[in-house]
Amino acid sequence: MRKLALLTLALVGGLTGTAFAGDQSDFVTVERGRYLAVLGDCAACHTAPGGKPFAGGVPIETPFGRLVGANITPDRETGIGGWSLDEFQRAMSEGVAKGGYHLYGAMPYTAYTKVTAADNAALFAYLKTLDPVHNEVETNQLPFPFNIRLSLFGWNLLNFTKGEYVPDPRQNAEWNRGAYIVEGLAHCGTCHTPKNVMGGDKAGEALRGNVVDGWLAPDITGHAHQGIGKWTTDEFVAYMKDGANRYDIASGPMAEVVEKSSSQWTDADLKAVATYLKSLDGSPAAPPAPLAAADPRMVAGRAIYEDRCSGCHVGQGEGITGLFPKLAAAPLVNNADATSLIRVVLAGSRAGATDARPTGPSMPAFAWNLKDEDVANLLTYVRNSWGNAAPPVKAEAVHELRGEMQP
Amino acid sequence: MLTSSPPGVSRRRFLTSTAMAALLAASGKAFGDVIRGTQPFSPFDYAPPETLPGGRWYFFTPDEARTVEAMVERLIPADDLSMSGKDAGCAEFIDRQLAGSYGSYERLYMQGPFQKGTPEQGDQSEFVPRDRYRRGLAALDAWCHASHSKAFAELPGETRDEILAGIEAGKIELPGFDGKLLFEIVLGNTMEGFFADPIYGGNKDMVSWKMLGFPGARYDYRDYVERHNEKLDLPPLSIAGRPEWKTKG
Repeated sequence: MRKLALLTLALVGGLTGTAFAGDQSDFVTVERGRYLAVLGDCAACHTAPGGKPFAGGVPIETPFGRLVGANITPDRETGIGGWSLDEFQRAMSEGVAKGGYHLYGAMPYTAYTKVTAADNAALFAYLKTLDPVHNEVETNQLPFPFNIRLSLFGWNLLNFTKGEYVPDPRQNAEWNRGAYIVEGLAHCGTCHTPKNVMGGDKAGEALRGNVVDGWLAPDITGHAHQGIGKWTTDEFVAYMKDGANRYDIASGPMAEVVEKSSSQWTDADLKAVATYLKSLDGSPAAPPAPLAAADPRMVAGRAIYEDRCSGCHVGQGEGITGLFPKLAAAPLVNNADATSLIRVVLAGSRAGATDARPTGPSMPAFAWNLKDEDVANLLTYVRNSWGNAAPPVKAEAVHELRGEMQP
Repeated sequence: MLTSSPPGVSRRRFLTSTAMAALLAASGKAFGDVIRGTQPFSPFDYAPPETLPGGRWYFFTPDEARTVEAMVERLIPADDLSMSGKDAGCAEFIDRQLAGSYGSYERLYMQGPFQKGTPEQGDQSEFVPRDRYRRGLAALDAWCHASHSKAFAELPGETRDEILAGIEAGKIELPGFDGKLLFEIVLGNTMEGFFADPIYGGNKDMVSWKMLGFPGARYDYRDYVERHNEKLDLPPLSIAGRPEWKTKG
């Protein structure tokens, strides 16, 4: 009886083996495409919360109005079922969709243009394996005149350079892999690079920090003071994979990136990205000198810090590893822009949850207890103590953000 | 009592979720599950202490307020240790408490039958705090008018002391209300008002905490636990903050 069972198993195994042998390379390609879709965090815009994977419908609020992530399942009518690989390749590398119309920059083709044709083919092969979902999405919900797609022709002339990533022969393979991911699929610059008035990247300031949706996407260059220059590669990998290192816990939009994307990257890719980012030049401007401890704003801020913050972040801003971020020498604290800091003090924040750190601890809101001036003084103190140095925070900035967040 | 409910977890929701958790635990299925990212969180969420803005009386009539102030001023007189109970806002504190859930003993079982009971059985009165003040203060003024031809608040301090002492000792019987019941509740509430957090109307400028050297509503003493035999002189901290939070100069 046992023998028979074994024989049956072997037979079934043999049969399936034969049946799938021909598709082995396809499987590898599709699997690579799946990973590339994670690397690019396509789901962030193309999978609505609670919706079918990649069926579209995530609204993206841009400074110009609302765009909605398209349905990229292989549905023939509402998705990309009718697209050829060439058409997909063109969308990725030129920002031009099937039918010849221009895509908006919210679809980060300015970054995706760097993706190799082979990777696009794998990505396309993966998308073709998805369940087709019939879901009509009106992607362009911009007001006039931004809703005229032809205007993108001029935008592209000024802000877009087409072309696959070209490895830098002076750098090693790991650095080039990191650069390929950061500049291409991971499209880090979409949030982290300062933007010009048209929403295009400012030249020569790549990844030096930018405010998006009332959050600061901080400086992620190798700048020692406000970038990740002082983070070790392991600390960077921990942040991206687990959502937390001793300086920082991923929160706000980055929490989503960690949850949906970077926590699933391979360690090799995370290390490559760390190598590349840490090699980037940050702003050449010298960090400011810290404010004197006797400054009245510092004195008031210190009292508030001791009463409201030191319980978790500890007296000297050292935090508790794995639970409460360290504020001393934390790059986010030292960024010139304090938007994210003001935000988390006012509204509180919940960290992202990953396999390594499944709980997602949260910081409570202080808007009910701290006035605009209190928040300003508190942050001025935090940004100028324990080795930190950053411009003081003004009460008006707190007032403005409070008004935007709590109209 | 604030009418708007805070955006935090309501009592009902808490109880429901606790019941659910208990059910799950009882069914034995919940063990070993990894809870991920499910802590309730929403921006600006907080459970505020229920407070009322000052500058007006919420429960007392102006006459009642004047009588209560005249009482708390004698229960905690101004001296070299502190200001008086009146100046510290004890009457305001009592007024706001009476306006809230305490005023109706919302959390106590207050259905009959009411019996006298023994002293060991504690408070058996059918009167909720609002009744005790409304009826008690009226009875006090009626007694003062009958015996001194003046309202309690119009009498000199020493006379007020004698009357309060007489009521406490049971030597003075107020018309139509148990004077002891009034005295006990005013004394208790006055102390509460004098020592409670200033956000509730009493303990003005944390006067009683400064008097005692009590550091207030602080969270964490890790930076101090190992500093032995040292006078720390931590300034007191209210839920609303402390004067040091403000920028000087």
